[in-house]
Amino acid sequence: MILFVVSVVSLPAALRAHHAFAAEFDASRPFKIRGTVVKMEWINPHTWLHLDVKRPDGKTERWMIEGGPPNALYRRGFTKNSLPQGAELVVEGFRAKDGSLKGNGRELTFADGRRLFVGSSGTGAPNDGKEPQGGKE
Amino acid sequence: MNARYPVLMLALAAAVGAAIATSGALPIAMTAEPDSTASSWKQTTPWGDPDLQGVWRYEAAIPLERPARFQGRESLTDEELEESQRIEDEQARQRLAGAEGAAVGRRSVAESPIRGNEYNSFWQDHGRPRQVLRQTSLIVDPKDGRLPYTSDARKAEARASARYGVGPYESYLDPDTGERCLTDGVTALMWQGPNGGHNRIVQSPGYVTILHEEYLDRRIIPTDGRRHGSIRQWFGDAVGRWEGSTLVVDTTINFIDRTNYEWAAIFTRPSETLHIVERFTRTGADAMEYRITVEDPATFDKPWTAVIPITRLNEGTQIYEYACHEGNYAMTNLLAGGRADAAKRSR
Repeated sequence: MILFVVSVVSLPAALRAHHAFAAEFDASRPFKIRGTVVKMEWINPHTWLHLDVKRPDGKTERWMIEGGPPNALYRRGFTKNSLPQGAELVVEGFRAKDGSLKGNGRELTFADGRRLFVGSSGTGAPNDGKEPQGGKE
Repeated sequence: MNARYPVLMLALAAAVGAAIATSGALPIAMTAEPDSTASSWKQTTPWGDPDLQGVWRYEAAIPLERPARFQGRESLTDEELEESQRIEDEQARQRLAGAEGAAVGRRSVAESPIRGNEYNSFWQDHGRPRQVLRQTSLIVDPKDGRLPYTSDARKAEARASARYGVGPYESYLDPDTGERCLTDGVTALMWQGPNGGHNRIVQSPGYVTILHEEYLDRRIIPTDGRRHGSIRQWFGDAVGRWEGSTLVVDTTINFIDRTNYEWAAIFTRPSETLHIVERFTRTGADAMEYRITVEDPATFDKPWTAVIPITRLNEGTQIYEYACHEGNYAMTNLLAGGRADAAKRSR
């Protein structure tokens, strides 16, 4: 369900992203949704997380959330198992300018309160904490 | 897709990091110890050229241009260095998604066209910990650490910056070349960070090749003594030579007027008089100095030089695919955004 719209205190900073944030998303339209993971698209230049979000009237909406590039996520220990299908998530971000059910994912929190990022040890990803020599990627 | 970064943000990032530390966020599992496996560095290749091979990337947090608060100073004080290191160490310990990602980019916050920490650093890959160095700007010449734009070029730069993220986005030709999945331009290869700033340098007799992850960019630089060609290309026409242990790459007048350049706003195009000289000098098993001198009388009052520290990554580091067109939903989204903006204006 759509929980509430938060007023986000913006930090005066810019990140490199593949594209201009302001071209795609509306910084004046922050959102916060709770939904379940349908799938994660591991595609360049951005991953896209698909979530089913139940509305107060019982209907389900399918949202798409833009994430970081798959290569960067993998290097940080993120794998296909990090966001399993059916996992419940709270996502905060900013909505697409065209009003469609898309947004960028600024904060992702599991239902139990754990926040991403959580690259758990031993995932097999390059920096999963098990590399004997320590990775620098 | 310009990126801009501010050392200025470190203190703010630290504050946010501290807030996160008490909020139940979990650490990521990434390790970030200095690479101890690169001792296999051989000084020269089997055919006698200096050996620059390996996967490299920029991992420091130094702004291209000197922030105003460091005006007149080329170096951080001991105290500033210590504080920056403390913050960086804390972030590395936390290994959290948070605002530290805001400190990565090319320019200071004040000059950034984007406001707000729209993406948290979970989505990015900056390298950890970033190097904290004394340099207050990558630009070492002129001495003020600032780009010596001509007044006309400065105005054009401001106009170009104002367009970033604003449009108009009427056609697929309107986004910048990165948004179009083409390239961020030649010098971006060595500077890019979180989206895939990995560069594999491969050498063979008479050639040095740089394979860059983002956009699958690659430069094949001959070092066999040939002269510049006459074909205009997006990456210009690069000719390399060895001066002692330094690879000198001269890229001159053959830049095509279509892509963007790392020092410039997204839509600033190189002029026909652009001339870039890059110097790659390995200073150790895991370290390289990348020195770039840019000359362009149409844009700058005088040449400028930046010194950029590059780090070698672990032996097993891979360059992954970057099939940018595969899922560039951003293109349709930003064109749809442009139409939504237009509809709003017409109401």
